[in-house]
Amino acid sequence: MSKKTNVLPGFSLSLGYTLLYLSLIVLIPLSAALIKTTELSFSEFWHVVTAPRVMASYKLTFGASFIGASINAVFGLLTAWVLVRYDFFGKKFIDALVDLPFALPTAVAGIALTAVYAKNGWIGSFLEPNGIHVAFTPVGVVIALTFIGLPFVVRTVQPVLEDLESETEEAAASLGANRWQTFYKIIFPALLPALMTGFALAFARAIGEYGSVIFIAGNMPMVSEITPLIIITKLEQYDYTGATAVAVVMLLISFLLLLAINGLQWWSSRRNAEAIE
Amino acid sequence: MSIEINNISKQFGKFHALQNINFNVPSGELVALLGPSGCGKTTLLRIIAGLESADDGRIAFHGDDTTDKNVRERQVGFVFQHYALFRHMTVFENVAFGLRVRPKATRPSEAEIRRRVRELLGLVQLDWLADRYPPQLSGGQRQRIALARALAVEPKVLLLDEPFGALDAKVRKDLRRWLRRLHDELHITSVFVTHDQEEALEVADRIVVMNHGKVEQIGSPQQVYDQPASPFVYQFLGNVNEFESRVNKGRASINEVTVDSVEHQSVDDAAALAYIRPHDIEVLKEPNGAPSFSATVNYIHSLGPLVRLELQRQDDERIIEAELTRERFLQLQLIEGSQVYLQPKQVRVFLKH
Repeated sequence: MSKKTNVLPGFSLSLGYTLLYLSLIVLIPLSAALIKTTELSFSEFWHVVTAPRVMASYKLTFGASFIGASINAVFGLLTAWVLVRYDFFGKKFIDALVDLPFALPTAVAGIALTAVYAKNGWIGSFLEPNGIHVAFTPVGVVIALTFIGLPFVVRTVQPVLEDLESETEEAAASLGANRWQTFYKIIFPALLPALMTGFALAFARAIGEYGSVIFIAGNMPMVSEITPLIIITKLEQYDYTGATAVAVVMLLISFLLLLAINGLQWWSSRRNAEAIE
Repeated sequence: MSIEINNISKQFGKFHALQNINFNVPSGELVALLGPSGCGKTTLLRIIAGLESADDGRIAFHGDDTTDKNVRERQVGFVFQHYALFRHMTVFENVAFGLRVRPKATRPSEAEIRRRVRELLGLVQLDWLADRYPPQLSGGQRQRIALARALAVEPKVLLLDEPFGALDAKVRKDLRRWLRRLHDELHITSVFVTHDQEEALEVADRIVVMNHGKVEQIGSPQQVYDQPASPFVYQFLGNVNEFESRVNKGRASINEVTVDSVEHQSVDDAAALAYIRPHDIEVLKEPNGAPSFSATVNYIHSLGPLVRLELQRQDDERIIEAELTRERFLQLQLIEGSQVYLQPKQVRVFLKH
């Protein structure tokens, strides 16, 4: 067997650098959180992380993130579709608008959303009389998390959609497929891996979101209090071990969820990937 | 199922892609649309398929007007230059696609679908690839699968857009012979687009030569090659030498050389272009009395059974190409720089407009 030579040298150097960098930036801070948590005994740890208020916050954080990412998957796909497939006046402007949630300080987003959805806001003033409460409820949390996650789906799906050959669609049509069949049998499977990546990114971003949520959530314990806020609250009360304990749980759940999504993604793109020459 | 093309015109902005195209494809024939790139041949094919709509004119299949039907309803089999296979589906599912998307009422049973797909894969001789994915196949295999997929829906007509354009020379030759045999077996009315004259001459029953959105000539390969209707057709089908010439009462003269030009009997002294194919030039070492061009041999390309000479005329220093058999070449004992005399054996003259 001959040794495989690469065009560019320095595999060991660049791998070493990558590992060092990841350790410094990601692994060491995370392990610090883990180590700090070990100051608690297991029963203490269990007591902290399963407190009813904390449990409620997990449910809200992960539930709202999931709903937000799902909404984004649907409407992000739609937005990407419109931006790629149609030409219209102001397309560039809308395209730029998609990135705004990336660039905007999250606190600004939070304040803006709260102002719009509050009882006396533009939208809130129509919804509240009809008994729909958005600001200071879990619905508000979902809205904030949807807002910040949108660009992830659009920006991952867009390039794949652009690369899609129009010929395969024409082939499907010439074989008698109607538009809906062409979409769900031909286009959607090709987009699915990118869509899932976008979903995973939006989901991950939403789980970690703090700034935009705390304004609109109202932060009522057991109702609209997200886990990152619980951690901050504990820190402000100098309960460092308690804060890290909750953080570790979040870390674990996030990790498992992302692993599951990656697995799904691998499964869906395997057919395409295994076949690439 | 015949195809009738009536007065088809198509414009892209100010560009006339097609202008008043009129011809019929008789039932069961294999017709080539031949022309240089940008001549509108692919646009015409896409209009026949219903993938594009004409600005003007009508398309009918066997007298049945299909102009307002879209591609789904026309029941055409379309084969794309770059295959357009569904890469996330196996070869089997690709071929089965057209059957699976049928409405429930007309959809064959699963067993029937399996039987039909197996049969088609057998027809294209690739039944052993049923479980592979398209990217795992070679270009030639992919195009055969694309053909099987198009045939699965039992199309009324088969349309192929430069079907061998993306393949390498060897595979292309094999595949076009195979397509010809397949057509002889199935007798489905077929139209294929190509810019390769050799391909069109070898495969098609009939050739439609197109240029600048117009039909230049329609005829059998023999007809378009031997009796080209215009200088364009003559030049497009094979190599030619072009000469400035004058025609007078059935005689065409190129400098001192005068040849008969029977089709221009009634012409009085008009400017014309004379064309001579490289293999219609007699090369002589010594003048034999008949009028000839004197020339020098510039280059000798001797590959295969034919030897190609690049010659320079002595009167106006223009380049002429000639082809001779290897035997004749050895007989003449030519080397680069040799002085020779050229006599046209067959000249084709077109009046200048």
